[in-house]
Amino acid sequence: MSLHRMSRRYHKWLMLIVGLQFVIWSLTGSYMVVLNIDYIHGDSLVNQSSSSLNSADVNFELHQLYRGYPNAEMIELTTLLDQAVYQFIEKKQNYLISADTGQLLSPINKEHAVAVAKHLYEKVDSTIIDVRLISDNPPFELSSKHLPVWRIDFDDFANPSFYISSRTGKLVTKRHSFWRLFDWMFSFHVMDYVEEDPSNKLLLSFSVLSLIGSVFGIILIYFRVLSKPNKKGVKNATC
Amino acid sequence: MQLVKQLHKWLSVIIALQILIWLGSGLFFNLMDHSKASGKENLVRVSQPKDIDHTRLLPVRFIINQHELISVESANPQKINSLRLIYLLDHPYYLLNHRKALYPHFDNEHSLIDAYSGKVKVIDSAMAKALAVASYSGKGQATSVVKIIAPMEDILKEENTSWRINFNDSINTSVYIDASSGRLVGHSNDDKRFADLFFKLHFMDYGLLGKSGSFNNGLIIFFSVLTLLLCLTGATWVVELVRKGRYRL
Repeated sequence: MSLHRMSRRYHKWLMLIVGLQFVIWSLTGSYMVVLNIDYIHGDSLVNQSSSSLNSADVNFELHQLYRGYPNAEMIELTTLLDQAVYQFIEKKQNYLISADTGQLLSPINKEHAVAVAKHLYEKVDSTIIDVRLISDNPPFELSSKHLPVWRIDFDDFANPSFYISSRTGKLVTKRHSFWRLFDWMFSFHVMDYVEEDPSNKLLLSFSVLSLIGSVFGIILIYFRVLSKPNKKGVKNATC
Repeated sequence: MQLVKQLHKWLSVIIALQILIWLGSGLFFNLMDHSKASGKENLVRVSQPKDIDHTRLLPVRFIINQHELISVESANPQKINSLRLIYLLDHPYYLLNHRKALYPHFDNEHSLIDAYSGKVKVIDSAMAKALAVASYSGKGQATSVVKIIAPMEDILKEENTSWRINFNDSINTSVYIDASSGRLVGHSNDDKRFADLFFKLHFMDYGLLGKSGSFNNGLIIFFSVLTLLLCLTGATWVVELVRKGRYRL
């Protein structure tokens, strides 16, 4: 069998096996490169103008904090809904306390979480359609390290959700339809439909077969485009 | 059908090489040692010191107030978004954030105040070097300390000006320290640089038609659309061959 015939045969057969995956790779790849990754990450959903700290608002000092929480770590003084607050960790538990009075604010209740979410949302007049406290069994899109969180769903384009930690009041993550779709696209791109891990055997097999199939395709380019086609080659080009 | 075949042929001519690069680099990601590619070979976590004298910490209200007094006279006043108590080389500092981005690697602006003395601390090369050494578990010595304005070839996503500290170990470890906050930006080494080369190829990230460090560049968008067409015409051809009974064993 000539190299030309062999290439045609193997290209044809290999593409019967991996052709669908080629369509999936190019479709999912196109989606991922066309949509800007910062948009996918929902960065444009967040109002990034933060309010500033004023010394007059801080009436509870660090030494007072350490009196109540002697092993406090990762202490941050910041603002939450224009109120000065301390966020910190003690014995792996997150805390939120007022920097004005020292009052414990965590865990935050539903109304508080909704107010924070609305405050952080990029649009001023947002409508919320659902609010849920997630304490266990997080959905696929949420890492369990963030639990417990309030999930706040907005009534807006692409179904945005904010996840607000009930322990710190922080926006731990956000999602919208295009990000959720992106995760699916990535799963299909790396052929891991569970863990999104590119080191799987299925992907390996398909990559190798595809590489061989493509090399035969390139040999076909040589015969069909680069070398002067003989009459026989043209006649068989339909196969 | 003739048009589909012609399209398939001529598209393949344009993107053949890139298809091989995609498949080859994809195969590399599948087989590569992910821990090596992360660049963390010589990375060690810096733990928080235990013997901090809390009573010596200056009141945070005083720190903010001090800053407010300076700002009043300044032509370019900076607000404080947040204040964090951090430890660098086992010494406490207040890290003031003046421009808060969504993520640490986005463009932020900080100043650092010694939490015991209240003095402004600027991270100089000696301190950057000491911070890098503290995060490093390898056997090499720090040989050079240079301040680099982003983007940095080793850590493309980072947007903050950083110190780069090179070590003379067998994998040429480089450690990056955020120049305004002292944050450990990350480690890189020859293993990571080798893997990064494949990412660059896979993402067609050559700094053409878009900023580097991104897979949202114009070049790859153009090629991805052509590839989609190539694959769709190919798939149509396969279906045609199946329909005509050309797949016979």
